[in-house]
Amino acid sequence: MPPKPHRVLLDRVSGYADEAAAYMRRRRVSRQPFARLYYAGGRASDHAADSLAGGELFVSAGRLIEVAGKRPKP
Amino acid sequence: MIQEARARDTTGILAEMADGETNDVEKTRAEDAAEGALAYLTEMSPDLRGGAILGSDGTVLAASGRGDRWGEDAAALLDVADRAGDEAVEQVHIATEQGEVFALRHAGLTAVAVTERFALASLFFFDMRSVLRDLAAGGDGRRADAA
Repeated sequence: MPPKPHRVLLDRVSGYADEAAAYMRRRRVSRQPFARLYYAGGRASDHAADSLAGGELFVSAGRLIEVAGKRPKP
Repeated sequence: MIQEARARDTTGILAEMADGETNDVEKTRAEDAAEGALAYLTEMSPDLRGGAILGSDGTVLAASGRGDRWGEDAAALLDVADRAGDEAVEQVHIATEQGEVFALRHAGLTAVAVTERFALASLFFFDMRSVLRDLAAGGDGRRADAA
């Protein structure tokens, strides 16, 4: 007997949600710090933390993070 | 009708003012709009820890917390980013263990924001760009979602 149509829809939506949750979990575990610059025209460049420009970018970013402080409580 | 009259009066008053006074009024108006825009950005983005909006000359129009520090540190970041390549950057995204930093230049204005880790970059840039576009068009940044 074929499953009811709404069951098919629910299963499909649950599947997508599970995939998305797994993707976010993997992203949290595996993502490394990065510095990425974007230019007019869509060009982008990555700078490793151990490069000269990358190091300076991370130091500048660290200062801004310090200025911003913690997230204000709602 | 009343609004038209008020607009005429305002224009007249502004025309009669000395240049310095007009500039001050314009500056205050820009700062008010930028503050509204920053508040709107904060309201829209639960991951936002703080941010600033800078004018074309680098002056801080609005900032959460210490405006002077935001101005100095944002200028330093953009300076480093510009020197890293052979042209001026349009967007900067730096992800660290402590949080993420976004900077965006649009129509002579600059928005800088610090968020929690794993903020969605494309959404954040979209919001920042919308707000700056509205500010540049003379709005208060709050019509950004209508764009």
